[in-house]
Amino acid sequence: MLETATQGIITGILMGAIYALIALGLSIVFGIMNVTNFAHGDFVMLSMYLSFAVGSALAWDAVATPLITAPLMFLFGIITYYLLIDRTLRQMYVVQLAVTVGLQILMRSVALIIWQAQPRALQYSFIQGNIQIAGFEILTSRLFSAVVSLIFIAGMAYFMNKTWAGRAMRAASDDLGAASLMGVNYHKTYALTFAIGSSITALAGGLVMSFQQTDPVGGIRFGLLSWAVLALAGLGSLPGLIVAGIIVGVVESLTVSFFDPRSRLLGVYAIFILVLWLRPRGLFGRR
Amino acid sequence: MNVKNIFNPRNILILIGVGIALAIPLMFNASQYVMLLMTTVLLYAILASAWNIIGGMAGQLDLAAAAYLGLGAFTTGTLLIRWNITPWVGMFLGGLVATALAMLIGFPLFGFKVKELWYALSSSALVVVLQSLFMMWNEVGGPTEKYLPIGTSPWYSLRFNNYMPYYYIMLIILVVVLLVNRWIRYSKLGYSLMALGEDEDAVEVLGVNSQSSKLKALAIYAFICGVVGGIFASIYGYVHPAFFDTSMSMEITILGIVGGMGFIYGPALAAIIMVSFREILRASLGSQLAGLYLAVYAIILIVVALYQPRGIAPLVERGLKKAQTYFVELTRGRRADIKSH
Repeated sequence: MLETATQGIITGILMGAIYALIALGLSIVFGIMNVTNFAHGDFVMLSMYLSFAVGSALAWDAVATPLITAPLMFLFGIITYYLLIDRTLRQMYVVQLAVTVGLQILMRSVALIIWQAQPRALQYSFIQGNIQIAGFEILTSRLFSAVVSLIFIAGMAYFMNKTWAGRAMRAASDDLGAASLMGVNYHKTYALTFAIGSSITALAGGLVMSFQQTDPVGGIRFGLLSWAVLALAGLGSLPGLIVAGIIVGVVESLTVSFFDPRSRLLGVYAIFILVLWLRPRGLFGRR
Repeated sequence: MNVKNIFNPRNILILIGVGIALAIPLMFNASQYVMLLMTTVLLYAILASAWNIIGGMAGQLDLAAAAYLGLGAFTTGTLLIRWNITPWVGMFLGGLVATALAMLIGFPLFGFKVKELWYALSSSALVVVLQSLFMMWNEVGGPTEKYLPIGTSPWYSLRFNNYMPYYYIMLIILVVVLLVNRWIRYSKLGYSLMALGEDEDAVEVLGVNSQSSKLKALAIYAFICGVVGGIFASIYGYVHPAFFDTSMSMEITILGIVGGMGFIYGPALAAIIMVSFREILRASLGSQLAGLYLAVYAIILIVVALYQPRGIAPLVERGLKKAQTYFVELTRGRRADIKSH
């Protein structure tokens, strides 16, 4: 009982770090641009497929594929921004919903056309195997992914606080008008923001592909997970994002080990709803 | 209604529409495929019109249509399979079950003033959650289809061997839902909802209870979805957790938005145009590449949403106004003062 719980918590923490990374992309886009991208989970799905394509074509390991997929997703983000998102910024809120949901249907069906419905997976990653600590099993691929995620989130915190581009993004998020007056071109800043958010999903997708498979409807799960993490964390706090990711990961993992694998999203949904009811700005949100 | 005005373009269009709708089964009597297609179109038109009450009028971006539809389907199906209770009763009980769940979710959400985006997300997640719950609940759902028995009388078990009766049942429900829409739109509730969609705080100050108005809208919407879910189960002849379909819910919402939020006929019109189009695409492209028709369909949805953000209903309104002016001029001998409508 206790051992199952501990094992579940360990797995949950490792998954949680990756969920935090996935939610980071969403958090940047939503927090800075105030754009609700309903297709975020499907960006992860697309990234995983790209990772599969690159990994199987070049016989690369899944964790190396972001070297190619991240620039691809960056480009995809810029195109999506100028083609769709930029045109919705001055529209009613519902237009943004309709457009991003349309994008979601589009991405899902394109994935279905190219890769068909059956799940796709890469060869076992070179970081397979597990480490035994005090009788508990830690999958090396997940440990590696979690560590990379945490390092990347820390790097992103540095970028947002110390570089001009990062500061411009945060300024645009705080006061778009004032930022424009100070010489921030918001179209460019927003395009960069969206593209960064999108390329983060490429990194996450590559990491997840080292131990999971992908299918055309897999985006729903990642979408729900990352919104739950974001609701829990609130906006504007990167350490909060990590804590929230870990909470979500642990809850998911414990539901799976104690209840039923098919119920993995139920616990996450329960947290999500409770946070919305009790603390709408999240545990660590600044607004 | 003014007797002189009864022949205005709007009423003529409505008459033509009803005439076509009634005549279609006679025109395509041989083809069951076309009947199923038209029934599907009506299903989407009903759901999108129901969505108009919570989404178009109250401005709550609900993404849970399939959750309520699925609950109605499972209630109706289970009652028929286990206790041989006719779907005519089952569908209304299904509507009540859907309403009950909607109240359970909506009461705290509206009470805590959960904002539009988060309401949309939690309703969208509800569909996923119900799907996994019914996947695990083997007595009622489970991974295999539970078939509805045909029984002794097709009218008792609502299981016909052709789609025509379903078509007319759906048509009647669509007319009822449109009338309900119209009734709500011009009632006190409708005015409160429309104002809520604009500016919630201002409406609260004026003494409208926003929570109870939104709950009423949600209840009506969930009830309609639940009832239609019962017929949905009868048409397909089985119940399965795949009825809790996130894509379908999202499509309903998009149809509601693309149709023109708050216009009574907008969502139904959008559903009739877009869903027929989708099914034609599916028939012509579906055999070549799975998913191609959906890709084309999604692109069209995006383009309509981007370039006609207020929906297609305002376009129709503009056309109708022009036609009306022309008509009045024609019948009354071109009086200049009528031009300034």
